[in-house]
Amino acid sequence: MHAHDEPACQSRRDFLLNGGKLVMLAAASAVTEAVWAQRAGHAPLAIARLSALKAGEPYYFEYPQAGDLNMLVKLGVPAGGGIGPQADVVAFSTRCTHLGGKLQDTLQAGLQVLGPCPRHLTTFDLSRHGVVITGHATASLPQVVLELDGDQIRAIGMQGLVYPDRSRHA
Amino acid sequence: MPEIQPVPLPPLGAEEISTACDYCVVGCSYRVWRWKVGAGGTANTAVPWANPSQHNIVQWQGQPHHVLVLPDPHARAVNPKGNHSMRGGTLAQKCYNPTNKTRERLTTPLLRVKGELQPVSWDTALDIMAAVSTHVLKRHGEHAWGVKAYSYQYFENTYAITKLALDAIGTPAFAPHDKCANSNDAAGLDDAGLEAFAPAYEDWGACDVLFLSGTDPFETKSTLFTSWIMRGEVPGKTLIFATPHRSMGVAWAEKRGGLWLPVIPGTDTLLHNAIARVIVERGWQDQAFIERWVAKRWEVDQGYGRGTRNTPSQWRTTWGTWQSDWDDFRQFLLSRDEHRLEHAARITGVPAALIERAAVLLARPRADGTRPKASFMLEKGNYWSNNYMNSASFAALGLICGAGNRKGQVIGRGGGHQRGMISSPGNPDWLSPEKHPGRRKKPLNLDRWLMDGQLRFAWVFGTTWIGAMAASDELERHIDRLTRGSPQQPQQATVAAAVTALIARADAGGMVLVDSDIYPVEPLGTRYADIILPAATWGEADFTRCNGERRLRLYNRFCDAPGQAQPDWWAVQGFVRRMGFGDKFAWKNSSDVFEEAARHSRGTPYDYFELVEQARRERVTGHEYLRRLGGDGIQTPVWRQGNSIAGTVRLHDPLTRQGEPGAFRNKLLSAFNTHSGKAMLLKTPWNFPGWSEFYAAVQPRSEKQELWITNGRINEVWQSGFDDIRKPYTATRGLPQMLFMNPEDARMRGIETGDRVRVSNDMVYVQTGMPFGVTESEMNFNSLLAAGHIRITQGSFEAVAVLDPGMRPGVAKAGFNGRGSHANAVCHAVPDPMTNNYRYKLGRGRIERLAAAAEKFDLKGSSLKPRGLA
Repeated sequence: MHAHDEPACQSRRDFLLNGGKLVMLAAASAVTEAVWAQRAGHAPLAIARLSALKAGEPYYFEYPQAGDLNMLVKLGVPAGGGIGPQADVVAFSTRCTHLGGKLQDTLQAGLQVLGPCPRHLTTFDLSRHGVVITGHATASLPQVVLELDGDQIRAIGMQGLVYPDRSRHA
Repeated sequence: MPEIQPVPLPPLGAEEISTACDYCVVGCSYRVWRWKVGAGGTANTAVPWANPSQHNIVQWQGQPHHVLVLPDPHARAVNPKGNHSMRGGTLAQKCYNPTNKTRERLTTPLLRVKGELQPVSWDTALDIMAAVSTHVLKRHGEHAWGVKAYSYQYFENTYAITKLALDAIGTPAFAPHDKCANSNDAAGLDDAGLEAFAPAYEDWGACDVLFLSGTDPFETKSTLFTSWIMRGEVPGKTLIFATPHRSMGVAWAEKRGGLWLPVIPGTDTLLHNAIARVIVERGWQDQAFIERWVAKRWEVDQGYGRGTRNTPSQWRTTWGTWQSDWDDFRQFLLSRDEHRLEHAARITGVPAALIERAAVLLARPRADGTRPKASFMLEKGNYWSNNYMNSASFAALGLICGAGNRKGQVIGRGGGHQRGMISSPGNPDWLSPEKHPGRRKKPLNLDRWLMDGQLRFAWVFGTTWIGAMAASDELERHIDRLTRGSPQQPQQATVAAAVTALIARADAGGMVLVDSDIYPVEPLGTRYADIILPAATWGEADFTRCNGERRLRLYNRFCDAPGQAQPDWWAVQGFVRRMGFGDKFAWKNSSDVFEEAARHSRGTPYDYFELVEQARRERVTGHEYLRRLGGDGIQTPVWRQGNSIAGTVRLHDPLTRQGEPGAFRNKLLSAFNTHSGKAMLLKTPWNFPGWSEFYAAVQPRSEKQELWITNGRINEVWQSGFDDIRKPYTATRGLPQMLFMNPEDARMRGIETGDRVRVSNDMVYVQTGMPFGVTESEMNFNSLLAAGHIRITQGSFEAVAVLDPGMRPGVAKAGFNGRGSHANAVCHAVPDPMTNNYRYKLGRGRIERLAAAAEKFDLKGSSLKPRGLA
């Protein structure tokens, strides 16, 4: 039996530092106990320079695979998982975890909110690990694990399941 | 953040089982994939994508099995293409699995011995209950034996429970989960001849303009909102919301040309009448519909359109206040000063321009002479603030706009819980000591009966009772006094010892409390119940019920119930056998109950009698026949069509066919539910003293810096809170009781988002005793107060403040029935004298900051953002 009653969460960094490694999506596996996805480290990707970010202006990038669109943003207030001197730089998937709606262009920067999703109006709180504010999603918005090396911001993993692109997974 | 768990794929050949959601009224279709743990095979990659909240491991026939519970990807009816809410989307995680927090399920009966709950056998628990009940009935009478029960948790259980209470015991001391008496919900709709659940979901999608009163279906009926209201046949429809909180659905509507009417709590009646007056002044009413479908004078006078019967609706004609025909109603609207725009704007708090704009959107004919198709949805914000007048004036507004019996032109409730009540025959209301003025009986107020010490034995099924009712703190004080506070407590876990102690308690004026539920309920079960019975629930037994468009489905069993948990109908059966009338409850299985209940569904909106008849003709059980209809089920009333059966899309529609010659005919199908088949216009004078005296008394007091304290449903925990605290994602998200406040109201009190606050009302009115009404004014607030029938009590609750600019100034809103935080504690337990229903939405209170709550700084927890960020 699986233990669903998880202990208090490790930080994503802890997870990665404690042996988290690449776990590729395995939807096509012939093994019925296959893992579809989980939090995972991925090959690092240099995204942007911290000094070039302006508060409230989103920067889009694909990660961990081509077509997986994410948004990097400096919120201006401390955020869960944020990096930088103010711990306010975060990045999230732009695909709604309810039914896969596209969240790009829905940033309400002053409120640290992504959404409402144009499909069913779910909103996510970017200052609190992408937790659902209100709506229908059954998981938080996947957060890109970031690392700061000098001025360089790198993506090094994902926390949470990205709603699948059905053309690739089904 | 919880670890993300692997989600396994089912093998090809995994069993697929259809069901529907356990939670809100919408009742989305779901599909369960089940396969044995460790089974090999080829993965079925055609199964829809699932996330960890949609997987669990359950026991099935004693063996561990994987289950995926997903919105049915093939659903056509309710949730096309597998749309879902957060509640339904996490259904898998409500299933019992002792390795997670569902291990808190009740698995065995419990008996409180020396103050501590101890496991006992079903035989012991039921033997004690039967012996104490036999004594109470003999010594104190059936009035002293009561039931407080959900009205929705499946036909099999509600039928068994009502057959026990209303028929076998024959007690008037019975109340459903959301009411203090066995009364109507939105009585004004009923008296107008409108069935609250007449509309179909397609109607809410097919209107051009939708007036929503006291509800945001985004919060409470998510898939109805996102699949039908946002989309449907007319996706560009305009929404008009009357509510003090600009939540997400309201904000979305406003951005698209809709209206937010930020009504002051309690004033909806005047808002409806002011809009209606603008419509009538300008001649925009649907005159052709009125001529054909609104009762004329002689039809009104034939017993309020219902014949001369001794019923509450008949009684309400006694004083001649309400009933009307078109000419009289028109005169009522035009002649009364308070219906003028400026006057109504001042009292309702809704700007005159918005009232006028609402009338334009609802009723102004287009250039080509056609009318916009207007529909009207109400819910508890409407009828739990001014029960009779708000629902009656709402019905009248809809009727003059031509709504009520046509596609896209309907009037009804959005709904709360699903429709799971089939009531047994037996109508012991005649035993009720309560009377309306005149000679008409009124259903008994169970809370007051308890507080007055009249109840000696109470059996509660699946409701918190305390938090759900008004003046919660006062109610709890009395339950405490009558149970835990009694010196007579069982000292040994034997039948003889427990029966002796509990009979002594009942004879000494105390109360014996039995609580049937799936989890220990705080505080009713954990602190006060003498006996707790473990119930089997959704997925653990075959059950049936209808959703908010009367769609009847089988909720299939797909996992084992934990321990000794059993469905409530089974517990009832075991009890009555010991009481000596078990032969009337001789069911072998759940389908037997369903089939027996069928004949008592006849004539109601949930009539499935012909389905059971059809099953008999095909030599299968009722449940088996329904199982074949799968996730789409059939809409009741069901009627016979040739060699088969057919369902009913909407009620009251004259285009609906009426079945075979000679078949049982149900007037609801094609006409309004009145004697004449026509709808009734009801006048609702603002100065009616049964309302106005109470409303004056409960106003927030400026000298105490009070605000209106209303309460409402929060999307993510609506009807699922008991599971949400145990589901990994929703629990991690955090579920504090929130108090939404206008930022200016908060600033004046030094309150920030994330602060813990206490809301307190030092004048909570509670009606006492069972006064008889004789003269017209006797049951109104001022007369009750003068006669000593109003007790002044106190109530308070704590919450985490959320500053929300979408909150109307002067009004704060808490989540309803919060765990450990009863917002109803600051609401008055003085029912509407017309209906005996509480006015739960009209609390008041002073708000004080206590300290910063942990949630204020916890970036891993719940979001404290405002709700309407469209």
